[in-house]
Amino acid sequence: METHSALPVGNLNMQQFCNSGSSGVMSSSLPVLPNTLEEKFPELPDPQHVPLEREIQRNPLPSRRPLFSSPSGFSPDLSFSSTLAHERHTNNTPFVSRSLNAGVSLPSTYLSNMEIFQVPNNFPKDPTEITWCPDSVQSMLNCSDGVIMGNNQIQNSSNKVSNDLHKQNEWWSDIMNVDWKDLFDDTTISESQPKVVCPPAQSSSNISMQQPQTDQSVPCHSGEVCAVTGASSSATTAAAKPRMRWTPELHECFINAVNQLGGSEKATPKGVLNIMKVEGLTIYHVKSHLQKYRTARYKPDSLEGMSEKTATQSEELPSLDLKTGIDFTEALRLQMEVQKRLHEQLEIQRNLQLRIEEQGKYLQMMFEKQYKSTMDKTHCSSTVEKPTTISSDQTHSTAKIDLPEARNSSTDSKITEGFRQVSNKWKMSEVEPSNEKETDALTSSLPPSKHSRINDEDS
Amino acid sequence: MQAAQERERERERAMKFGKRLKRQIEESLPEWRDKFLCYKDLKKLVKLISATQPSSKAEAEFICLLDSEIDKFNAFFVDQEEEFIIRQMELQERIKRVAATSAAAEYGRIGTEMVNLHGEMVLLVNYSSVNYTGLAKILKKYDKRTGGLLRLPFIEKVLEQPFFTTDLISKLVKDCESTMDSMFPAAAAAAATAARDEAVMMVEQRVFRNAVAALVTMRELRRGSSTYGHFSLPPLTLPDADLLHSLQLPSPIPIL
Repeated sequence: METHSALPVGNLNMQQFCNSGSSGVMSSSLPVLPNTLEEKFPELPDPQHVPLEREIQRNPLPSRRPLFSSPSGFSPDLSFSSTLAHERHTNNTPFVSRSLNAGVSLPSTYLSNMEIFQVPNNFPKDPTEITWCPDSVQSMLNCSDGVIMGNNQIQNSSNKVSNDLHKQNEWWSDIMNVDWKDLFDDTTISESQPKVVCPPAQSSSNISMQQPQTDQSVPCHSGEVCAVTGASSSATTAAAKPRMRWTPELHECFINAVNQLGGSEKATPKGVLNIMKVEGLTIYHVKSHLQKYRTARYKPDSLEGMSEKTATQSEELPSLDLKTGIDFTEALRLQMEVQKRLHEQLEIQRNLQLRIEEQGKYLQMMFEKQYKSTMDKTHCSSTVEKPTTISSDQTHSTAKIDLPEARNSSTDSKITEGFRQVSNKWKMSEVEPSNEKETDALTSSLPPSKHSRINDEDS
Repeated sequence: MQAAQERERERERAMKFGKRLKRQIEESLPEWRDKFLCYKDLKKLVKLISATQPSSKAEAEFICLLDSEIDKFNAFFVDQEEEFIIRQMELQERIKRVAATSAAAEYGRIGTEMVNLHGEMVLLVNYSSVNYTGLAKILKKYDKRTGGLLRLPFIEKVLEQPFFTTDLISKLVKDCESTMDSMFPAAAAAAATAARDEAVMMVEQRVFRNAVAALVTMRELRRGSSTYGHFSLPPLTLPDADLLHSLQLPSPIPIL
């Protein structure tokens, strides 16, 4: 099987991308542009495409790596595959630990700097379509170098890349100002993914900064565009897979601009774009947003118009059979109640999930620490101990994959203790009287058996 | 003997997430149905992965599919989020306008729309949660199969994905709730319970049923799993179990 090492794989993939025309990717030169844009616009995320895409995915697979087309800085899918490979191979050890570290710690840093994520791979994987040109390959290689080099190098490489990007962006923004109406009509645009490039250097506005900049007085400044560059390579340019993430503040800014231009019917995307002056926002974003805005306004308005005639008769609503005002309100309340309940539970669940993951990370850290100290003590890698009884993925999550899973039994008990505590916590919260009230007889018998199983696991 | 029984139960329950996910999808809004995780496909891929043969094609396919699924989630989520922001603001505007003119009919209409918007937003949060759960499960299966380390780092990245960062939507949801509270001040408790049954029959089916289904599914998903471990959630506790019960709508109104 192929042996993986970080860099060569990167190279290999570039080549393959060049040939096969991968999906999430970018072209940095103008001639390619019309093709990529055209191919994107008719791409609606409809069910027909999805299976097709999947089929196509399966076929050319051996030559493909979703690497740089992968979403949101899943850049080291590369390192994942290296990881996998190194489960089984023992060569390239230095690469492994390096790339694994890079792979694991990197993306989050990278992501927080660049907020990279992409539009779905709904694009025809037409082998003939080439979205790469050698330049971008080169810049991608540069980028991948950066990616692999480690966290502290990120800034350097991203700066380097952003310089290239900046030039491309300038060029691109010139083009963007041209009205592309001739190429496609507005209706398709509204459905299409907004494309854009956000030079990484500028894209310091992260998704986390959505809520954020509470500077209400100058809404446009606060609504900075959330980064949008594609995958790992900030070399994504215009082909603009990238998506915009709108915020209420940004939307307010949009509304202001629209009103200045005389309303949603009169306003043009270009005009709005110019007034808003938001970095990274492109005319495509504005166009699709404007479309959505118009739809939202005029549907209810037309209803309003119609029903104004019948308004005097009753409070008739499309989906509710109104008898009295109270009934109606009650219906609303009930629906609201249920929804509210669902939302609360979702929030709780989410917090739990986050905590679980944190706990997992913490435990893994402990593992690694213990392991390292063990290794230091014993001085060699050949200490083979009994495998632990810990029943989760923690068993596998060690830093050095190429070494056998060897641990001190004392370490084991410490960590097992940690697990016991976690599972005990769960056990306690499980015992809730309200659960017993559930009339589902089948499921009520589950908790006890589950408890006993846990006990087994722990012992 | 016990091991065999456990395996049996596990197999039985192992099916559960897939089935439940399927049901949830069926109950969901039509436009959403192809946006959920393709759990079944991923499971098939995991099965294809051989434990001995290194870096097989199936593994690459798996990761590839995972990536594209996440793309799909992100795109859909962000798109919906954008729409919700627009609609929410529109409703706020209309409320302001209506407050000035005090057109009762309009008020009612706005109320309905707002409740539905609220519902859809909550469903989006649910969408995020369901997909996350599916991802976590499938990654667990994958790691089990390959003895690999894909799960932890992958999940960590998932946590940062747009589709999982639901803070904004949650905030919008709460905004909706407070707006509704001010629009329709609390009715007397007695009247509430009395009118409830009638209300059940009357509510807008589409969004509402989906929400109920989501709640039910969530509860059942968390009831217990044979592979209960440190990454499993405790069972769902609903303060108002009766509420959910009375909402098991008997009427076979088709979801449009």
